[in-house]
Amino acid sequence: MSYDIVIIGGGPAGLTSGLYSTRSGLKSMLVEQGTFGGQILNTRLIENYPGFPEGISGAELGEFMYRQAIKYNLETRLADIVQLDKEENYKVSTSEGNIQTKAVIIATGSNYRKLNIPGEKRLSGYGVSYCATCDGFFFRDRIVAVVGGGDTAITDAMELSQHASRVYVIHRRDQLRAGKVLQQQAFNRPKLEFIWDTIVDEVIGENKVEELALSNVKTGQKSKLKIDGVFVAVGLIPNSQAFLNILELDKDGYIITDENMATSAPGIFAAGDIRRHSPRQIASAVGDGVAAAMSAFRYIQQQNN
Amino acid sequence: MSKVIEVTDQTFKEEVLESDLPTEIDFWAPWCGPCRVVSPIYDRLSAEYEGIFKFCKLDVDKNPNTVAKYHIMSIPMQMFFYSGEKVDEILGAVPESTILAMVENMIKRFPVDEIGKLKTILSSWVEINRNYSNKFNKWANGVNNLESNLTYNNIYQTVKDVNNSSNKLSRALLELDGNK
Repeated sequence: MSYDIVIIGGGPAGLTSGLYSTRSGLKSMLVEQGTFGGQILNTRLIENYPGFPEGISGAELGEFMYRQAIKYNLETRLADIVQLDKEENYKVSTSEGNIQTKAVIIATGSNYRKLNIPGEKRLSGYGVSYCATCDGFFFRDRIVAVVGGGDTAITDAMELSQHASRVYVIHRRDQLRAGKVLQQQAFNRPKLEFIWDTIVDEVIGENKVEELALSNVKTGQKSKLKIDGVFVAVGLIPNSQAFLNILELDKDGYIITDENMATSAPGIFAAGDIRRHSPRQIASAVGDGVAAAMSAFRYIQQQNN
Repeated sequence: MSKVIEVTDQTFKEEVLESDLPTEIDFWAPWCGPCRVVSPIYDRLSAEYEGIFKFCKLDVDKNPNTVAKYHIMSIPMQMFFYSGEKVDEILGAVPESTILAMVENMIKRFPVDEIGKLKTILSSWVEINRNYSNKFNKWANGVNNLESNLTYNNIYQTVKDVNNSSNKLSRALLELDGNK
């Protein structure tokens, strides 16, 4: 099948691009690998997206965006993206077959960065978690650890301290990267305990998480920590692996664009969290989605002339 | 129409562990966003696979015993059971194709005997008949003087026949139980 535009990623940026591209009359296909709505589905209450003064749940906002996006004949497909190649126009190779298209909008966002240590994958869902908002509920009066030292780690630790009896924050340095105000709030929480200069070597447990094996990076000393859950908050990885061959990325793997969302390859645009220097907000992702769709529209018109 | 069965700590054993069919249970909560994405998939599949595969769900807020027993610490968590044993699981919100592949795979791995399938079909049939028979009776009790009308008379007679047939099916079901 051949399309004017293929949008990769069904979060706020991709869904908005789909809405604008179909409304401008382009034959459009949106490919999503998991569930439409994207990362916002994990947020219980979104209070900083304009138009919802009482806040709105991520699931509801995601559903609204999806319903609006498919209202104007946006075709959708659930598939993994394998690769993107220049061929006639562009060829998008997916797990469910190939698609020919004149233009592409990449809105694949990012995923939780993993620790890549033994036990992490096996005990995922059984005490290893990447989302405190989603899973904190299950650790009422339990002992948990948060790994990381940035804003997300500290916000997670504060949120978890509302459920858990004790929250350890394990950080590989001797100070936090999180904002000063957040740090002050965290240091004032009696339930939070900081373990500095320490990395996690292994998650231990038979059917569920029981212990962490730790190493102090300065003294080299090894130790064990008994816990019921571990929340990994060591940042995000951009989902750009499929585009390495064709696009210019920055050193962290984010796609470099200009102010019109154009990438280094003509006809390929990027929107949302996958862009370098993205503020990583729903509102900015939506704005990117609009700009990318408009740029793609202009590009296709020029190609046709 | 959804045929997903709402299971509790009290009914888990009967509905899931003692189920005649391969069975899926979706651990969910009202506050869980991704759960809302997968639940319509299960609603749809439950109708499509009625009598072949059983779909259940359990609210983790209200049923702490089952949650503790299966170490549920992240939702949506979907577990697959056959003959009282947990045989597989899917963690997180996944596309319909993944769920469908798992269900088809379960059906292949754990073929249900023909009598088991027949029993499931017949028992839901009998139950539907019972529901509609009750609805009809409720309606009929509220109206007067329709017996003289020939059309209504025919309807009353037909309902009676259906009820009789349904009772026969119920008895046949009991016999099937005895044969197993």
